[in-house]
Amino acid sequence: MAFDVKNIQKQLTDVPLVSPYPHDLAVAIICDTFRLAGVRPPSRGDWEDLERRAKTPALWREQVVMLAYVLTSSTLGAETAAMLRKNTDSATVMKGFFVQVEPLTAEMIRSNAFRQEEFLRKWVHAVDGQVKDESTRETAARLKQLDYREALQEMQRAEAARRKEADKRAKDLADAAQRAADARGWRE
Amino acid sequence: MTLGLPSDARVAPRANIRRDTGTQRPHVPWAESIAGGLSRFAALPDETAARAELESRLAGLRAALLASPYYTRRLRDAGLHPGDLQTLADLRHLPKLERGTLARHWDEVPTPLSREDESVVVRSSGSTGEPVKVVRDRLDCLHMWAVLRFWLERARAVLPPRPRVVLLDALPGGLEYSVRLPILHDGALHRISVLRDDARERLCRVRPAVLFSDPEGLRWLSEQRDLPAPALILTSAQYLPQDTREALARTVPAPLLNYYATTETGPLAWECLGGPGRFHVLAPDVWLEPGLDEVVVTRLRPSVLPLLRYLPGDAGTVDRDACACGFHGWTLERFGGRGACHFTTPTGRTVDAWALAWVFKHHALRAFRLTQVERSRFELELAGAEASEVTPLCERIVAALRNLGWSEPPRLDVRHVSAEDLATSAKPLPFRSRVAAA
Repeated sequence: MAFDVKNIQKQLTDVPLVSPYPHDLAVAIICDTFRLAGVRPPSRGDWEDLERRAKTPALWREQVVMLAYVLTSSTLGAETAAMLRKNTDSATVMKGFFVQVEPLTAEMIRSNAFRQEEFLRKWVHAVDGQVKDESTRETAARLKQLDYREALQEMQRAEAARRKEADKRAKDLADAAQRAADARGWRE
Repeated sequence: MTLGLPSDARVAPRANIRRDTGTQRPHVPWAESIAGGLSRFAALPDETAARAELESRLAGLRAALLASPYYTRRLRDAGLHPGDLQTLADLRHLPKLERGTLARHWDEVPTPLSREDESVVVRSSGSTGEPVKVVRDRLDCLHMWAVLRFWLERARAVLPPRPRVVLLDALPGGLEYSVRLPILHDGALHRISVLRDDARERLCRVRPAVLFSDPEGLRWLSEQRDLPAPALILTSAQYLPQDTREALARTVPAPLLNYYATTETGPLAWECLGGPGRFHVLAPDVWLEPGLDEVVVTRLRPSVLPLLRYLPGDAGTVDRDACACGFHGWTLERFGGRGACHFTTPTGRTVDAWALAWVFKHHALRAFRLTQVERSRFELELAGAEASEVTPLCERIVAALRNLGWSEPPRLDVRHVSAEDLATSAKPLPFRSRVAAA
């Protein structure tokens, strides 16, 4: 069964997040999704481990809440439960997912169409699902286009290159000014 | 000869005229390719194919956005990145760039300049009271000449060898110059001021193949007799009154092409030669988003200044169109410009109030509004203006009004107001008239 990401996004637009779920409720919703598929959900220890691994625990908690929101406010939860294999290791799924969505904030997922699509597609990828009307290659290419982690690194590289170029120009200008000053000294 | 020029009308800034026109020559193939691209695109009936070609140009824009310090920061702050822009439909999720923001970040929006870009900084007219510094690379500066080739083809205008182009203007100051124009079939460009006594003689001597002018220049032109007819007349009046068109057609029997351009974006669209009010968009160089009630511009042509969803401040709606003139593409209709306004001279003649916009270019004004109260009385409302700016500004306005037809200096009352008093819901409306036209 393939996930219809466009349709899920449309459903989420129709059911905007009014107030964030409490963290414990969000964890329970995610665990229930696994239970519905007959898969053992992450244990309390697994959740503690996930929080410990997070670079920014507060951001991780936002992502947990947003995952619960997208699972309950669209057909994503039911579709996930329907396609999860019985031998899935839920803790591994969650670990991989949170590494992939690491820089995404709740606000991005809520209000930014691209980051929401990225969040959904990374969930589909984490549960080893397929996207409707797309080949595996197309899905991978789209995921790469949307990858905000990589984009941030690219923007940082561009920024560093600009700073280096600006420093070089400033140094060239300073050197030129020094040469001009030295030359004037000789003439005088 | 400047005998016809009032001494107090010498308000033009010093102009930097580029004389190294030989450097245009290597760009002739580029100009041909731009004109060819516009021509081919205007004949493309299939919207899907047209969109696919436009989307193929987004890769260049993505690279420019990544290289722009302003856009990198702006997109990152919004949780976006240039790679999100894959299709024209993606644009609606990306932030718009307002004119005021460009004015504040004019040096951060461009990609880093290299010596090869031969970039220059120009100032927009300041028609909203807030001039924008605009960085242009060499090709940005030459783009209009490339587009002119396309327009000449649309108008079926045939140029002689080494065509002469005249820029006829009615701006205060009477600036004139002549330069070579290798980019247009080894031609020459002459700027002629209608304020000079010998303007008509110079025009007859030059015998222009192409003539650019503003509405005041066109009005002057329509009052002359026995002028040589150019192959094409161009103006960027935004709104060109029908009586001006008719008067000009009687005097100078040449096709008149009215185009829409801004300093920040370059040419964007041209008014259909077959029917006024319909501006055909200059795709694939620019993309104007369809279905909105304001002009939103994304530049698809490579430039040192990437423009993503830029708002020039003009009203209008873009739709896909197959025009009776043979054009296929997107057309801008209900184009409002920035609040069309006409002032009435003491003799009852109407003049385009935007002919005064130039005067405000050299004043750092937060906001202003010039209202014609009576035929010989104006009110200037200023918000946050420096006291030292007011007197020279008033002198310039009165001088400019004299050039437009107020032989006696009109009364000009100045009122200081708050910026909120001048705020409008959408686009700025800096000119207003309470005088009924004769």
